[in-house]
Amino acid sequence: MGNMNEARSEVPYGTLDLMVLKTLDTLGPLHGYGIARRIEQVSQGSLELNQGTIYPALLRLEQRGWITSDWGTSENNRRARFYSISPAGRKQLTAEAENWSRTVAMVNRLLEGQW
Amino acid sequence: MISVRVALARLRGLLSRPSGDSRIEQEISAHLEMLAAEYRRRGLETEEAMLAARRSFGGAAQVRDQWRSQRGLPWVETFAQDIVYALRQLIHSPGFALASILTLALGIGANTGIYQVLYAVVFRPLPVADPQRLVELLVTEKGKPQHFSYPLFREIASRQNSLTGLFAVSEFPLHDATLRGRGLAKSVHGAIVTGDYFRVLGVTPRAGRFFRAEDDRTAAPLAVISDRFWEAEFARSPEALGQTLDINHVPVTIAGVTPPGFFGETLGLTPDIWVPMRLQPRLMPEDFLNGAYTWLAVLGRLRPDLSIHQAQAALDAAYQRDPDHLGGHLELHSATRGVDGLRQFADPLYVLMATVGLILLIAACNLANLLLSRAAARTHEIGVRLAIGAGRARLIRQLLTESFVLSAIGAALALPLAQWGSRTLVSLAAQRVSLETGSHALAFTATVAILVTSLFGIAPALAATRVDVHDALQSSHNRASGSVRGRALARALVVAQVSVSLLLVSAAGLLVRTLWNLRYQDFGFEPERILHVSLPFEVTAWRRLAAIAPSLSESLASLPGVRTVAVSSCGPFSTIQRTGWFAAPGRPAEETDGARMVYVSPGYFEIMGRIVAGRSITADDRKDAIPVAVLSQTAARRLFGNENPMGRFISGGKQFDRRNQLLVVGVAHDVHYTPRDAMGFVVYMPLAQSPAPVTDIELRAAGDPARLAAAVRDAIRNADPSLRVSEVRLLRARIESELTQEKMMAWLSTAFGALALLLTFVGIYGVVGYAVERRTREIGIRVALGARRGQIAGLVLKDVSVLLAAGILVGGAVSVAAGRALHRLLFGIGSVDSTLALAAVLIATVSLAAGYLPARRAARLDPTEALRQE
Repeated sequence: MGNMNEARSEVPYGTLDLMVLKTLDTLGPLHGYGIARRIEQVSQGSLELNQGTIYPALLRLEQRGWITSDWGTSENNRRARFYSISPAGRKQLTAEAENWSRTVAMVNRLLEGQW
Repeated sequence: MISVRVALARLRGLLSRPSGDSRIEQEISAHLEMLAAEYRRRGLETEEAMLAARRSFGGAAQVRDQWRSQRGLPWVETFAQDIVYALRQLIHSPGFALASILTLALGIGANTGIYQVLYAVVFRPLPVADPQRLVELLVTEKGKPQHFSYPLFREIASRQNSLTGLFAVSEFPLHDATLRGRGLAKSVHGAIVTGDYFRVLGVTPRAGRFFRAEDDRTAAPLAVISDRFWEAEFARSPEALGQTLDINHVPVTIAGVTPPGFFGETLGLTPDIWVPMRLQPRLMPEDFLNGAYTWLAVLGRLRPDLSIHQAQAALDAAYQRDPDHLGGHLELHSATRGVDGLRQFADPLYVLMATVGLILLIAACNLANLLLSRAAARTHEIGVRLAIGAGRARLIRQLLTESFVLSAIGAALALPLAQWGSRTLVSLAAQRVSLETGSHALAFTATVAILVTSLFGIAPALAATRVDVHDALQSSHNRASGSVRGRALARALVVAQVSVSLLLVSAAGLLVRTLWNLRYQDFGFEPERILHVSLPFEVTAWRRLAAIAPSLSESLASLPGVRTVAVSSCGPFSTIQRTGWFAAPGRPAEETDGARMVYVSPGYFEIMGRIVAGRSITADDRKDAIPVAVLSQTAARRLFGNENPMGRFISGGKQFDRRNQLLVVGVAHDVHYTPRDAMGFVVYMPLAQSPAPVTDIELRAAGDPARLAAAVRDAIRNADPSLRVSEVRLLRARIESELTQEKMMAWLSTAFGALALLLTFVGIYGVVGYAVERRTREIGIRVALGARRGQIAGLVLKDVSVLLAAGILVGGAVSVAAGRALHRLLFGIGSVDSTLALAAVLIATVSLAAGYLPARRAARLDPTEALRQE
């Protein structure tokens, strides 16, 4: 998927969690493939994501209690693990999102020399 | 919070491993399939779509690994892996595994066993409420603690307010009370206590009620029995309460039962029955409640707001105001662990603890050596593992895990061994100690196991992994030589073993000689062919005995095989002693005199003594004759210096008193009251002139005195069926029973010394044997070049001798120091002693023998064979 010629960047450290949480918050329960696809779609091919790396991230989020998971059936009738965001995860998402915006704004100001 | 939750989740993951593994497998395959389906939709062929899916997914194996390591606790898993690997390694070398596990089990077991006894004897608090606040009151005169008299106890009790309560107690002489009316008359262990005893100790009755302070006033004939006695006599029936027991012919009513595990205030004593203090004059031949008998231990409970020092100051002030005070000072000592009735036992236990610790040290040296040679044999394997990228730390951990597995198995086997060992030790020592296996024993075992693992495991692991990868891979399996440091370590371990063995063997020698010296010393009388009868100390028995003693003596003397019969009160090897002051005209009694008084019948000195001047006490020393005394040599010297004591007068009391004067008619050789007793100041008086309770009957036999025992019992029973005999034994057996502890120490130290020698032999044999094997090629060359066999053997033995010399030097120095530390347990042994030299010779012989076997093998090497070996 995606064009090999385009400039692609690696997933910045720590942002994968945020993206997963946001995806689940927006789209509701989703399996790993769905989450990976959604992130790729949103990044419009600008993110180099080995889709497999999503699973350790999902386990991490689950262990922290931010998402929950359960077996379900995928659109092509396969048994798949569906993940959904927990209330604690929503809280974390809000906090992380704010934090992210602040960081981005700060970096932008820095880069634009407005200080 | 998050980290706790993550940890819990990981723990869950670790435990539900298989299902977790299948979960990630399923997720990955579902993901790949959906991805492939997407590619197929975009027009790729099935195969290509799958390939593209895999590419896009990235490394499935890495994902799986990462997922797994994140899901569980990775270090637990590597640890588990290490353990499995270690077990596999051990199964591969069952001989090594068995030998080391057995060594460790014995070593750790011995340590835990002795620790358990030591804990019970020295460290364990009394099983009562808040034992930290218990104190013992002692009157200390010139550093020598004394017991209390009953009047002094009453005086202190009425004047003090530093303690919330205090009590007086004595097990003596009720420890051998007579219980009648429940089958045959038998001995029960009794204690006599004041009313506050149970309240101050803070014990609650298992059944019924305990004594109260008012029982001290009413002299109510009550008794409290132990749980054990309750079970043995009444099968724990509640009906026991209110029943009457006949103790020393005094009927007492059972009021209550103590809880299980309660053994009173004195370690080493386990009374069956407690009776109130006020019954004392009825229970014993003399009234100890009035007068200056100092026979009571006094304990109290500190007021919560006072320190022991504050309380001591206040109590001593009260004591000093007492008009009848004995002099000296009143001191408080912590009684958290109870009154120490087992101090005699504590010293040997410390020595045994040190001994088994050292044995374990030697065993650990052997294990370290075994591991070193194993590691050397594994140099190639370790080299390979290092070469393919295993971290050194990881390898060390692996090797340590092997040691740990050995220790853990050894420790697990050690626990039952320790149980058995501690029980055996207590029965060997003939002590009454209740042992318990608590968490403290487990904690101790675990600590010892970890300690010993680090002792024998760390150095070989470090040495084994300090490998030059290149060299290790160059050399083949067989010729791999181990590191230089490893060899130096092995030699150091041999030196350590030799010195520790020397220490243990020389200590064993000292203890065996002590036993010998005590057993065969001059007791002041000839101890062979004497039968010794102990009688209980009770009122009626005494009165009856006094009445029948002459006729009983006659009937005993007429028994075939009896040469002489004597009866006595409070003599050597009696369970009771009586002391007092003696003065001569112009020579008042001195504080240091502490004379013992012995009342004897005619014939006594033919059995238990040796007259060295004058005459012995005879049948002519009747009640109406002039009162006489026989002095021990020490007594004669103290009272009369170098003058002839014969025909002079002495009297009881601190000042000479004409009215009570005794004519000195003889001097007897000094005697030992017990094997370790210093010979001392003894005054013998005729029983006929000074009525005193007969405590012992002595018989000298013409032949084997043991044959007389049954006839003697019968004769006493025929004389009066109500009389109970405590003991009929050979005097030799009584001496032996006084030497139980010394015998135990001699046996155990000899056994441990032998074990140390054996371990050292094995250690040296192993190290030298390994060295010879390693040098096979070199030796082959030497032989080929014309070295004689003797030279080869000498070469190997020279190596051993250097180590041996170093070990004996170090061990000798340590042994001399240890001999000094042991002085309290020793007897009749000077500071410079031949034992050490003998021990050194023994060690040298054993070590050289251990070295000689491999040396001989080296000397017999066939050079062609040796050189053909790669």
